[in-house]
Amino acid sequence: MRRVIVFATALVLVPASTALGADLDELLDDSREASYSAEQVITCSTPDGVRDAVIELSQSRGELHVGAPVAPDVEVASGSGGWTLVREGSVVSSANVQGTGDVPEPRYSVDDGADTEYLGREATRYEMAGDGVVRAELVFDVEIGALLRVVTFNGDGSIYCERRFVTFDPEAPPPDDEDSADVIESAEGGAESDLPETLAGFERLDVYRDDEGFVFAYYSDGFFSFAVFQIPSVVIIDTGSPVTLADRIYTRSFSPGQVTYAWETRRGGMAMVGDLPPDMHEAVLAGLPAPEDPGLFRRLWRSLFG
Amino acid sequence: MTHPGELISAYMDGELTRPEIEQLLAHLDGCGRCAAELQQVQIVRSAVRSLPRLELPAGLILEADAGLVPLHRNKGLLVGAAAAVVALVIAIAAILTPSAATVSLEELNSRYGARASLDPAFGPAKVVVPNLAELLE
Repeated sequence: MRRVIVFATALVLVPASTALGADLDELLDDSREASYSAEQVITCSTPDGVRDAVIELSQSRGELHVGAPVAPDVEVASGSGGWTLVREGSVVSSANVQGTGDVPEPRYSVDDGADTEYLGREATRYEMAGDGVVRAELVFDVEIGALLRVVTFNGDGSIYCERRFVTFDPEAPPPDDEDSADVIESAEGGAESDLPETLAGFERLDVYRDDEGFVFAYYSDGFFSFAVFQIPSVVIIDTGSPVTLADRIYTRSFSPGQVTYAWETRRGGMAMVGDLPPDMHEAVLAGLPAPEDPGLFRRLWRSLFG
Repeated sequence: MTHPGELISAYMDGELTRPEIEQLLAHLDGCGRCAAELQQVQIVRSAVRSLPRLELPAGLILEADAGLVPLHRNKGLLVGAAAAVVALVIAIAAILTPSAATVSLEELNSRYGARASLDPAFGPAKVVVPNLAELLE
């Protein structure tokens, strides 16, 4: 009889423990599988001012196509390790990579969710938190699982970025037959690097290195991510401005949804590109090689020989 | 305001008026390229100023003025001076000319965007948007 009671108690306890919160990875997986087209407004409050944009999205079979009403001749196709920027039918910039499949230890969890309505559709709103700090609010469509709105927060609770759909059509247009990413050589992850394996709560998942010594490493904490670049040459950011963090001087540029830092070391140029909130920047940069004046002769050498 | 390359040199020479200086400084606050150019000009000037002074042999100028010094007697000195001038000109040209091997923001974006598309959080929360402001310039 006692065994029966223990078993019955376990049956009650297991569902109770799993009901503490929804599974963030499952929600994101479902969102990635959804097919739709939408118009999204991105508004970010950065230390350098507001950065905003209106973009048109269509997602189908895990691939996203992004356009912008202000630049109708520009389109980005992204998904499955590819990113291609096309302008007036010509590829301007593209890359294609493979991942090693490593995923970071879960850093964030979501609550049970609350019923809400978004753009006249049934939706569920979740709070995503890690280390007791709410870092994002996510609104998913109930019917097809699409992520309709996401707000990311700084550590003090202030809003960093809001991405929200202002129009939404669950009937996605048919995917474009032209897939320019297929013809691009794919870089394999897993190269050696002296960049740290963990950095301010982020895990290094992949490292890529090309024949010209261009190294980039991808870091993620399960939601936010950034890439660190080590380059034999110099990074030019026309839109950047100088900024001092922990007595180190960088060139920084915010665009809607992401930030880029660039600096020089004695070994070459470095850059960090990511979507992490500003309060995380200093800790991440502190774990990377510091900016250094390369010196007159190194500068001369690089200018003459690259 | 377009990139005011000439104003930077004039600023270093102290030839700008107060309003021009304020206009330039305001531009430098928001333009990494011009800020970097100013820094490079400052580095070159410091390098030139730090070159050691060479003492000429006593009486050389007087003797030269008097036509008493044959050119071949000071050939070594002249060749050395010419080589130093050539090296300095090359150095200044190389430093002030942007390196042929530079990397643009778009190249970084494409790599980050490609890898981010394999991320579990990939989607409308993470899609890397091209730098529209730069594309529309």
